[in-house]
Amino acid sequence: MTSRPRLATEKLNPVQGLAAVALFIVLALVFVTVQFGPSTGFSPDAHITASIGYALFNLAGADVASEGMLAAFEIIDVVLVAALVGAVLLARRENTEPATDGGQDVGKGGED
Amino acid sequence: MAVSMQYYLLLSAAIFCIGVFGVLSRRNALVFLMSVELMLNAANINLVAFSYHWGNLTGQVFSLFTMALAAAEVAVGIGIILVLYRNFKGVDVTDATTMRW
Amino acid sequence: MATAFQYVPAIPLLPFAAFLISLLVGYFAPRLLPKGGALPGIAATAGSLLLSVWAFLTVSDGQYYNETIYTWVAGDAMPFELTFGLLVDPLAAMMLVIVSLVAFLVHVFSLGYMNDEGETGLPRYYAGLGLFTFSMLAFVVADNLLMAFMFFELVGLCSYLLIGFWFREEGPPSAAKKAFLVTRFGDYFFLIGVVGIFATFGTAAFAGEGAFPVLAEHVLNPAAEGHANTFGFEPTTWFSILGLLVLGGVIGKSAQFPLHTWLPDAMEGPTPVSALIHAATMVAAGVYLVARMYGFYALLPTVLALIALTGAFTALFAASMGVVKDEIKQVLAYSTISQYGYIMLGLGVGGYIAGSFHLLTHAIFKALLFLGAGSVIIAMHHNENMWDMGGLKERMPVTYYTFLSGSLALAGIIPFAGFWSKDEVLYEALIYGMGTDGLTGTLLLVAYAMGLLAVFFTGFYTFRMVFLTFHGEPRTDTAREPHGVRWNVKGPLVVLGILAATVGLVNMGPVAHLTGSDSLLYLHHWLEHGVGAAQYEAYHHALNEFAGFHAADLSPIVPGAVSLALALAGAGLAHMLYNTASPTEHTEKLGAAKTLLYNNYYQDEFQVWLATGVTLPLARIADKFDQGVVDGVVNAVSSVSLFSGSRLKRVQDGVVTHYATMLTIGLVVLLVAFGLVGGWF
Repeated sequence: MTSRPRLATEKLNPVQGLAAVALFIVLALVFVTVQFGPSTGFSPDAHITASIGYALFNLAGADVASEGMLAAFEIIDVVLVAALVGAVLLARRENTEPATDGGQDVGKGGED
Repeated sequence: MAVSMQYYLLLSAAIFCIGVFGVLSRRNALVFLMSVELMLNAANINLVAFSYHWGNLTGQVFSLFTMALAAAEVAVGIGIILVLYRNFKGVDVTDATTMRW
Repeated sequence: MATAFQYVPAIPLLPFAAFLISLLVGYFAPRLLPKGGALPGIAATAGSLLLSVWAFLTVSDGQYYNETIYTWVAGDAMPFELTFGLLVDPLAAMMLVIVSLVAFLVHVFSLGYMNDEGETGLPRYYAGLGLFTFSMLAFVVADNLLMAFMFFELVGLCSYLLIGFWFREEGPPSAAKKAFLVTRFGDYFFLIGVVGIFATFGTAAFAGEGAFPVLAEHVLNPAAEGHANTFGFEPTTWFSILGLLVLGGVIGKSAQFPLHTWLPDAMEGPTPVSALIHAATMVAAGVYLVARMYGFYALLPTVLALIALTGAFTALFAASMGVVKDEIKQVLAYSTISQYGYIMLGLGVGGYIAGSFHLLTHAIFKALLFLGAGSVIIAMHHNENMWDMGGLKERMPVTYYTFLSGSLALAGIIPFAGFWSKDEVLYEALIYGMGTDGLTGTLLLVAYAMGLLAVFFTGFYTFRMVFLTFHGEPRTDTAREPHGVRWNVKGPLVVLGILAATVGLVNMGPVAHLTGSDSLLYLHHWLEHGVGAAQYEAYHHALNEFAGFHAADLSPIVPGAVSLALALAGAGLAHMLYNTASPTEHTEKLGAAKTLLYNNYYQDEFQVWLATGVTLPLARIADKFDQGVVDGVVNAVSSVSLFSGSRLKRVQDGVVTHYATMLTIGLVVLLVAFGLVGGWF
């Protein structure tokens, strides 16, 4: 892991690249042929960030309409905690010995 | 003059497909994760574009949530790569082929 | 006063009860069964005999019985009904009396042959006899062909069980298997014939309004409106095919050429079994079936000619083999084959009365001869070789005189029973041969000639047997002091001896012709009436109308005198050669002919070759086809699946990015498909 990543030219498989390109072509074809109407944008003096805050907490008083996202807010909080715990769990060393030995080995600390 | 919607969608599709290309052909696991991030962000662009199109903030709020999810997913992903490194002495995804026929 | 017909079901069921008693009590509580089951058997057959005589008397009053007892497949579900029923008409009543009488006498004789000789396993023996008697009696009164077939098979089974009674020795089990397989081979064709008759006529009843012979006659008669499903053939052709198929079973069971090879081997069984089964009753089942279905056979001239030729050829063929045999039971076995050839000859030429008459007399005198041989065998400590006997005439007078009575009947010497019946058969062959036009008539005359020649051989081998066994000086110590026999052996011999001498009186053809009095032909009158068209009047009419058989007008005196002269000539030759104090084996002078006859014209070896040289290779080819092609196709289908599976699994190579590639490609394909269908582009 100490070398920089290099392009794997010796084991290049064109199929994978072609798959991605094909996906792009299909998506592009679909998007180009769609007829959209004119966009309703936001009014220039609306407070967008404040409205996002209002929407997050299901509070009234937003300038721009939105759906209430309080439930999603709480859930994402739980998800983040779970991800944190999971990451720590995965990163642990499995065969760790206790950091202290409870004073069993007497002569070690006084060498210095 | 407003940019028409097709361009936003095309941009999102392009970034998504670059992400797919990275997922399919990169061997380093960390770059693999970066490509996954690219795909998530392409979706975010799509959400914000449509939020502007309909004049409704739901898309933007939701894109915050997907970002949070992306962060959580990367956290767990890095943990998995750590375990992978421990078992296979490298982070090449094409090395870990024990679950095969 | 109850009629006899209410008790007719009891006639076969009494021996069946004796079978069950011998089997169950003999197995679970043998000590309760004195004499190993003989007494229930004797009581049951005596009861059957009394009921049969009562039924016989009722039938002679003119009352007949044709009822369905039990329907086991009803008619609404299928196009035909399958039933059990009873038919008691003159032919059946006569046969009932014969079968139950011989069965009763054989049971009594078994007391002397089996019990007194200290045989073991007697419950099994008497159970077999009881089951056999049940099957034979039920076969005789069966009213439809399917029921007859079932009991036909059952008597074959009992024959197998009884021939193989001493199964711990080498010979009997092999002989039992041979008997069963050879008759079964014929019965296979019989079964196809039964199915064919059901398919053609929708019924297999022998007598009554809707009986299949009547239906067949309606089809062939342009005046009557008859319909039958003849599967695209001409009616006569198809009926002939059906008749030939059923004939296959008859030929097997009645030991006619070429399925005769089992009967000499069947002599491995105990002698009472040979007397009951292989002389008087089971082999009679085949010819009885022809007589029962005579209304059908009388319509088919080709089949009748074939029956006559087969019978006559068998008569001559078997008689020639009986001339060189050394064991007394073997001579009698070949004699049985030969005499059943005569009965078939009689039936085939259109002489229904003659054939039935010979069936009656043959049952009596052949049972007598076998029981006499049994008595001799007891006396000689189970040594059957005639060259070890001699001089038994003075030492066993009862056996000698009864045996002589049977031999005179067999050879056909006047006034014993065999003369009247055999002469009648030959006379009928001659007059129908002369009276019928064309090839059929010639064939019947050829059959007559063969039958006439066989009379000479019959006389010869019969008296050779008598002289070697009873006359001359005793050739061994056992013959000098034979083992004594008791009343249970002598009693049946006396009864049958008297019958052999007198039963010919029921139908004395030449005497009736001489005196001009038709009333002496009791059997003729007896068989003239019956249920519906199952009687001689209708058969005679059918023979004339449909088969084209006509009887020439000839006096029976001269043909009778000719056959009598031949029989006496044969007996005289035997007297010259063998009736001396120490006879020699004159048959050696025949040289190579003797080897041929002694080895039974190599028929046994031929049949074994048919099995190993023909059937086995064909079976191997069929097996290769089955395993290679049929199984091969199935295995190929599965191997396609296995092969493709073993190739396809390599897609799963563990590299995650390859899976993601496949996912992406799949997604692209799906999107394109949905897009094309949904009109996105």
